[in-house]
Amino acid sequence: MKNAIDRLSGLFFVLFALALWLYLIPTQIETVDYGAIRPKTLPQILAVILGLFGALLMIKPADGTDLSQVPWAKTIMIIAVLVAGLWLVVELGFVYSATPLALTLIFLMGERRPLWISIGGFVIPALIWYAVTILLERPLP
Amino acid sequence: MPELSIILAGLSDAFTITNLFFVFLGVLLGQFVGAVPGIGPVMAMAIAIPFTFGLDALVAIGFLMGVNKGGLVGGAIPAILMNTPGTPDAAATALDGYPLAKQGRPLKATKMALYSSVTGDTFSDIVLITVSAPMAILALKMGPVEVLGLIILAFCVISGLIGNSITKGIIAAALGMLAATVGTDPQHATPRFYFGYFEIYDGLPLAAVAIGMLAISEILRRMAENTGVMRKGIEVCDTGNPADQRISWPEYWSCRFTLVRGTIIGTILGALPGIGSTAAAFMSYAGARQASKHPETFGKGNIQGIAASESANSAVMGANLIPLLTLGIPGSVGAALIISAFMIHGIQPGPLMFEKQGQLIYGLFGAMVMANVLNLIVGQVGMRFWIKVVSAPESVIFPSAILLCFVGVSLASGGISGIVIMLIFAVLGLVMNALGFSVVIFIIAFFLGPRLEESLSQTLALLNGNPWALLNYPIALALVVLAAVVLFSTQRKRGR
Repeated sequence: MKNAIDRLSGLFFVLFALALWLYLIPTQIETVDYGAIRPKTLPQILAVILGLFGALLMIKPADGTDLSQVPWAKTIMIIAVLVAGLWLVVELGFVYSATPLALTLIFLMGERRPLWISIGGFVIPALIWYAVTILLERPLP
Repeated sequence: MPELSIILAGLSDAFTITNLFFVFLGVLLGQFVGAVPGIGPVMAMAIAIPFTFGLDALVAIGFLMGVNKGGLVGGAIPAILMNTPGTPDAAATALDGYPLAKQGRPLKATKMALYSSVTGDTFSDIVLITVSAPMAILALKMGPVEVLGLIILAFCVISGLIGNSITKGIIAAALGMLAATVGTDPQHATPRFYFGYFEIYDGLPLAAVAIGMLAISEILRRMAENTGVMRKGIEVCDTGNPADQRISWPEYWSCRFTLVRGTIIGTILGALPGIGSTAAAFMSYAGARQASKHPETFGKGNIQGIAASESANSAVMGANLIPLLTLGIPGSVGAALIISAFMIHGIQPGPLMFEKQGQLIYGLFGAMVMANVLNLIVGQVGMRFWIKVVSAPESVIFPSAILLCFVGVSLASGGISGIVIMLIFAVLGLVMNALGFSVVIFIIAFFLGPRLEESLSQTLALLNGNPWALLNYPIALALVVLAAVVLFSTQRKRGR
């Protein structure tokens, strides 16, 4: 199983290198026909390296990777909270979204002590607001 | 060599009240975050960089140096009190620090760590100050072909030494360089991989990539792995014996050979790209144990063990700046972050800095010396307080760090797009880490990518399509051969 993950990531890089060479480089880089090095030269070299070493990883897996130790469900949940937090920042601005975002993360981590919840959810966002808006005189997102 | 007037002007720039205040603030912040398990100096630097935007370049870099140096001292505290190093560098410190703390002498252990750290750091700074200017003169004699050879060698060393697999190291380096190609091509000014998003027309913002991969991805991992169980450190209690609370001069002096060995190991390894402070600390620890007349006392609270580890891991810091200032090549993530700070302030690191920004460089050296003195003073006074910081809950620290990252990236990259990029790279960093691809190599390659492309272009123009012309550049050829030898020998050693 451990080797299978390395082989799969090797396969991914081979496919990615092919996509890079056949699709991304032709569509995302303008063709220039002069100069010692063209805009696409380095990306093409990198595509070759990725393809070759991806293939090597498929043939000869590295040290074995164990993904069973990673708590994926909780990780995805936290990422989802961050994306929701970003959406809130876009919609409401940092001042109104910092506390809900911080409180959600604090609860998600299992903190239930009122003092620490207040510090993380209210005092820290207020300090950030003070430091950025008043001291640095910069706009918050 | 820079003129004496430039050196003096730089030093006088460093020793101003404003600079002193920001270096002090950096050291204070560094020791604080170092003491918090989970937030090391690298993460703290990544978060702090955007907040230095409005500052003068010397003040900003002096502040970041303070954070880095302070973080090295603070990182030993959780290692000693909780047997959980705040940073991997401090892992060797825990071997003797924790047993000494368990014997009721946590302050003695932390103070030995402080003195050893400052000793190692100061020595390596002296080496940096002494050798960097002559090395920069040598580096200036190198043409683009030699620079290309040097960058290839740096990549091979870094890919070979960091992580568990050379194949994965090379893939991580290629991915980092690919990320660096996003935005306007430096030769023809045509856009690449911007997918219609004008926010990345000039390339991916350094701060967003660095903070996403180094800070947010690590925070995500730690938050997901958090079980909610509070880890308590060893409490500091008064034993009534003053000798348990401090390190006397005879005790410090008895460690002189260990300290010298540690600082030399740290300085040499620090000057080489990719090896890092963790390896230096363990090598120094092993050396001290081997040289000791009582090796059986190691691992049971021997202050020599703490001295060995801390002097070596701190000596890496100053020496890390040697390849950065002389060649513009970062040897570690910390150095890569210092590069990004230089670039944010419009300064291109490399040998030309000594010619064009000599005053700033010597100002930086002055700030580093000042940071060492302040590190000692702040550590001496604040150690009892930092010991309490160890028990601050991760459940509050990490959400607060995330808010700081959101704001910091927004300040550095001009808005929400930076935060989006930061989150994308955080997920990429998380996945790369889980699959065993080094994020450190990715970041260093991301920083070096544009320089590699520029050198490659100049080299191809010089060779004019004739590969035999390479024979006219023996140094470059030797560097490329050395790169191949490094890769081959590392692979062979791993094979065994």
